[in-house]
Amino acid sequence: MHLVLVGISHRTAPVDLRERVDFATRGLPAALQALGTRAIAREAVVLSTCNRAEIYIACEDAAAAPDSLVGFITDFHGVSRSDIAEHVYDAAGLEVARHLFRVSAGLDSLVVGEPQILGQVKEAHTAAVDARTAGPILNRLFHASFGVGKRVRTETRIGSGAVSIGYAAVALARKIFGGMQGRSVVVVGAGEMGKLTALHMKSQGVQRVTIVSRTMSHAARTAEAIGGASAAPWDELDAALHASDIVITATGASAPILTKAHIESIMRRRRNRPLFVIDIAVPRDVEPAAGEIEQVFLYNIDDLQAAVRENLARRGGEVARAEAIVAEEIDKFEAWLRSRGAVPTIVALRQRFEAIRRAELERLDFKLSSLSADARARVDEVTRLLVEKLLLTPTEQLKAAGDSEAIAAYTDALNRLFALTGGNTVESADPANDVEPSAPVANVEPLAASNVEPPAASNVEALAASNVEPFTRTRPRSPR
Amino acid sequence: MNAVPLALYSAALVAYVWHFARRSVAAGRAATTLLVFAALAHTFVVGMQTMEAGHVPMTGPTSAISTFVWLLCLAYLYTEMMTDERAMGVFITPLLVALQTIPAFRPGVEDRAAVLQGPLFGVHVSSLLFAYASFALACVIGITYVLLFKEIKAKHLGFFYARLPSLQVLDRMNHATVGIGWIFLTIGIAVGAMWAAQAQGTYGAAGDPRVQAMHLLDPKIFVALVCWFVYSFELFAARRIGWGGRRAAYLSALGFAIVLLNLVPVSYFLTTSHNF
Repeated sequence: MHLVLVGISHRTAPVDLRERVDFATRGLPAALQALGTRAIAREAVVLSTCNRAEIYIACEDAAAAPDSLVGFITDFHGVSRSDIAEHVYDAAGLEVARHLFRVSAGLDSLVVGEPQILGQVKEAHTAAVDARTAGPILNRLFHASFGVGKRVRTETRIGSGAVSIGYAAVALARKIFGGMQGRSVVVVGAGEMGKLTALHMKSQGVQRVTIVSRTMSHAARTAEAIGGASAAPWDELDAALHASDIVITATGASAPILTKAHIESIMRRRRNRPLFVIDIAVPRDVEPAAGEIEQVFLYNIDDLQAAVRENLARRGGEVARAEAIVAEEIDKFEAWLRSRGAVPTIVALRQRFEAIRRAELERLDFKLSSLSADARARVDEVTRLLVEKLLLTPTEQLKAAGDSEAIAAYTDALNRLFALTGGNTVESADPANDVEPSAPVANVEPLAASNVEPPAASNVEALAASNVEPFTRTRPRSPR
Repeated sequence: MNAVPLALYSAALVAYVWHFARRSVAAGRAATTLLVFAALAHTFVVGMQTMEAGHVPMTGPTSAISTFVWLLCLAYLYTEMMTDERAMGVFITPLLVALQTIPAFRPGVEDRAAVLQGPLFGVHVSSLLFAYASFALACVIGITYVLLFKEIKAKHLGFFYARLPSLQVLDRMNHATVGIGWIFLTIGIAVGAMWAAQAQGTYGAAGDPRVQAMHLLDPKIFVALVCWFVYSFELFAARRIGWGGRRAAYLSALGFAIVLLNLVPVSYFLTTSHNF
């Protein structure tokens, strides 16, 4: 099985194209189901955020998969191949792991270190688990990526410091006022910038937002757009300033609308309660000298941008450390992936031993027929334990073999010594379990059913699964 | 005996500095743990001295300083636990270490003069020591307020911005600690005056020069009254004329500078009424 990734992200495509291939619009379950019917992959996870649409699969044919996946994307979204061809990237094998780990760590994000992406990756995986399209390989891959995301965030400071004007303003307000709860904000001007900043403040829990504009209807419209905000006419500006903690000025006025003297008079009436003035207008709305007033904290857009740049620079310094963590985790994942190379041989070996045991029990059936049912059960139990004991050490040794050469040598030797036909697949002892193991899935259901690759007698399989796969299976096997 | 708490205070100081500089959570926990042990050791010392001398060691300037340090440490630990905020430790512990060196190198509890018996005297000294501990906290909170205020005003969001709680929180803590301190300072001074009036009736008449010197112009008493006016003004100004924030912080620092003056040099060298 091979890992393959196909995706489109902010690095390769403009926003209008990303919008057209956004899987979230029709829902991830629909996308996963549609993908299942295409029979490209045995396991699949679809990650869809506003900055990226990516499909992670585990499949048999790594060479053909990228093209099939691009075909799926064009068909699913109704876009033409030529529209997206130059914007699509793909990866295979460990590069898939590297990409996902970097995504989870926030290294591939538009704003490096932003925290939302890890949650989005988790949601993508959960959706795949619910749709039963995630299997052992992708489960392992995604769980490893959650670990990477967590490690990078706790061991580096990649996520520290505000990196947008809105966040920087809120962070400052928190340092002045302690919390945003119960605070009131006045936005002077009904423009887009003021609205966005006010929206951000609102989402951070401020109690009251008042929009003041020279044109009352503009103020009312902006207040409505924000939701839960109120509008006030221009002549109530002073009253609004008096009652507020935070003032955002964003008018298109060519001369300052708030002078130092004006703010001084307001501060006297406020008895010097702290006032945080955020002037995001260009040209400025607030006289710079107003920043000299005691308890007035005046920040203009350049000041906020300087804070943002500083934080971005600091994050940049942490990238190297985050990349080192990604590299470490890729090594671990690679070791796991290699150890999986031995799984078919282990399963085949167990099936061979089990087949011998059953054959012998059947052969001796007439001799055992005189025994009581109880005693026959005991015989069955003893032989089963014997087989398990014999296989325990070889299984452990195979699992412990680190590099692919050693695994190849072991599996080759085992295949020859025990005449394990075909190396990877053997006839199942139980015809009920006889699903074509290497056939690509035709619908969603067998994707989940193929949690453990080759079909096998249930007890053997359970053993193989518990011994070989260190992760916990997220879903019980569906009854067949 | 006072050297053991001193050593622990010093260790806590190092841990708090480490915690503050590196923002290490582990160092912060270690610092608190060390300070708790220092407080326990100091409690033990104060307890032993109380048993030995038969009274709480606060009648002479040296033992009063030791008891003050002990109270300040407890008050700080209380605030740290209430606010879950360790940033102030790096400012408090140097004060603890500096003051604790005095009792550590001047061992022994001063004998208690006969004049210093009675419950009023105990209330007088313990209220004042507790008031001073509150003012020490207020001073430290005020200093951190000013440091953070300057960074935000200068639009240089750096070292303290990343480490201190918000201005509003610092301002409220400052106000609360000054308020508590002011109440105990008022009680301490009032009870002191009552006690002095009593003592003057018996011991002053008997010719004790210290009791005779207990009037408003004695340095120790005078400076304590100056303190009372400074803190009264701070509380009044914050309410009435909007002198919160940085101005209150400066007043807290000024007030505590006067407290320290009263606690160390005035006690040892200047006062004629309080040198027991």
